[in-house]
Amino acid sequence: MDIGRIAFLAAVLALLPTAGHAQGKKPGKNVHLYIISPADGATVKSPVTVVFGLRGMGITHAGDEFPNSGHHHLLIDVNTALSLTEAMPHNKNYIHYAAGQTEAQIDLPPGKHTLQLVLSDSKHYSFSPPVVSKQITITVK
Amino acid sequence: MTKSGEVHPIRPGVDTSYEAPRRLAAILAADIAGYSRLMTLDEEGTHARVKRYRRELVEPAIVEHHGRLIKTTGDGFLAMFDSPVEAVRCAIVIQQSMVGRNAALPRDQWMQYRIGVNLGDVIVEPDDIYGDGVNIAARLEGIAKPGDVFISGGVYEQIKNKLVCGYQLLGNRKVKNITEPISVYRVLPDYATLVKARSGRTLAIILGVSALASLAVAPAAWYFASQKKQSAAPQEQAAAQTASKLESAAAPQTVSPSKPEATSASPALPGTPQVAVIPPAPPSALQPIVEPEMVTLLGGKFAMGSNNDPSERPIHQVDIKPFALSKFPITVRQWKQCVAANACAGGVTGDDDDAPVTNVSWSDAQQFTEWLSQVTQKQYRLPSEAEWEYAARGGAATKYWWGDQLQPGMANCNGCNEAYDAMKPTKVGSFKPNPFGLYDMGGGVDQWVADCWHRNYQGAPVDGSPWLGADCSSHVLRSGSWRSDPNYVRPSSRNYYDTNARNQTLGFRVAQSL
Repeated sequence: MDIGRIAFLAAVLALLPTAGHAQGKKPGKNVHLYIISPADGATVKSPVTVVFGLRGMGITHAGDEFPNSGHHHLLIDVNTALSLTEAMPHNKNYIHYAAGQTEAQIDLPPGKHTLQLVLSDSKHYSFSPPVVSKQITITVK
Repeated sequence: MTKSGEVHPIRPGVDTSYEAPRRLAAILAADIAGYSRLMTLDEEGTHARVKRYRRELVEPAIVEHHGRLIKTTGDGFLAMFDSPVEAVRCAIVIQQSMVGRNAALPRDQWMQYRIGVNLGDVIVEPDDIYGDGVNIAARLEGIAKPGDVFISGGVYEQIKNKLVCGYQLLGNRKVKNITEPISVYRVLPDYATLVKARSGRTLAIILGVSALASLAVAPAAWYFASQKKQSAAPQEQAAAQTASKLESAAAPQTVSPSKPEATSASPALPGTPQVAVIPPAPPSALQPIVEPEMVTLLGGKFAMGSNNDPSERPIHQVDIKPFALSKFPITVRQWKQCVAANACAGGVTGDDDDAPVTNVSWSDAQQFTEWLSQVTQKQYRLPSEAEWEYAARGGAATKYWWGDQLQPGMANCNGCNEAYDAMKPTKVGSFKPNPFGLYDMGGGVDQWVADCWHRNYQGAPVDGSPWLGADCSSHVLRSGSWRSDPNYVRPSSRNYYDTNARNQTLGFRVAQSL
């Protein structure tokens, strides 16, 4: 699992030099995005309550153009690189919290799953450099 | 019936309710057009298909319409009904279901029934029926075109005020071995046929004034127009309004407030004196509004959901009332009219007027329907989730509306075709329409529907109405977008998004109750 996580981060980092386009807004300084719960490695029941944590930036409704703010996206079982030139997809693996939610209940089938948060700007583009949490792994009973 | 092929009696001699030697009955005769050709192509496959269709479509349709299957032949069958209305409904259901089944197949493999319905006094034996009434049904079937339903004058007289439908008088026909010529009507299946028919022959648009309440059980996509609240109205007026609705439902139409004749100028149906009363002109608006092109769907029962994803379970029967749905998603051009009227905000992205409007929230879409209703004086709304899925399936129960396999040219998604533009959707109508004549019901843009998001169908309504309530901070999205993978293009696939949030893939289409 750690290898996958490192590979993912490496892929993200590999994209950084190409990030000089109009979409790539700069995030705030000393930003830390993290999953408060569940804990990495936890065994949980579905539906799973996921609590999002963010330090150094604010959360707003998508579409609202406030400086130094954005909204959460939860990536479930996503191990492909994040695109900085395309808006975040939205589907069952990329859940948007465009209303500014900071907590969510998600349905997951039994088994191992990865969760990761990504913060985006008002138009669903990732910041550059991206604001991402550590990818955690949970087991659903 | 003089049919080649083996005759298999059904339920021989067990049904004691049909002991009377003679009785009046509606007789439905059907056979498959080009059966011999299909048998030459693939004998076993064709035989298996005929048997499957009979089991899956024909027999359930007959039972549902309170009929009785008398016998089957190699490629056809004979059924009797107490009610001519039920018999014709059954015929329409079968034809419509076949459209769905054929949609995914190449033209030369299509299997199409020809159906004749006659009302006659027949001799009823436990395992067969006899008499002129049966022969005439078989003759009507013989002269029907593949996919058509031909009915006799006797049936027409019984159903014309009860089944809201277009009927085309084909005149009196002399048929083999029947002395008297019989008057023949063709039941008009859809709007395209209606237009084709109108250019030539006499056409009667009949509005059912008494049978509307039971319409919901009739099948979809056949062209029906109805107005529920007119049960007391004189038939002439009702028919006129229906005819007008046909016009408005079928083609993009300019509503010009300064010139009320714009509506009344729609060509009257030839040979129909009913088309005399014109509904009042819509009230003022600043500029002519190009209304969305609408496709009328009759509705009926269908199985909603699938076992592909927990959110699509449980599969449940839903009964859809007649409604109209815009042929395409709302375009940038249409959206701009609302923006120009200061009634819509929303970020229109791209300058292609024929592209679907995107970057609209559910609330934006709702605002558009309110504006459109106001300027046209018609009740536009978002479709319910059930209506959307019913329309997207186009009569098919398969994974995609065209079948179970992905096929290029059917939908715009990431992985549906070889070519793919990640940055923007194609113009509306760039891909094939589904059997109901609707474009972009899958892929293209995510489409908002009226329903609040519920994580699965536990407790969902079964009457086709939108499912509101609960936590309505998110609304349902259907169709998937150009960025979605093919799994989201399935007609049963569900997604959701925050009600007030915009996103580049979010669009919508509009509906009208009938």
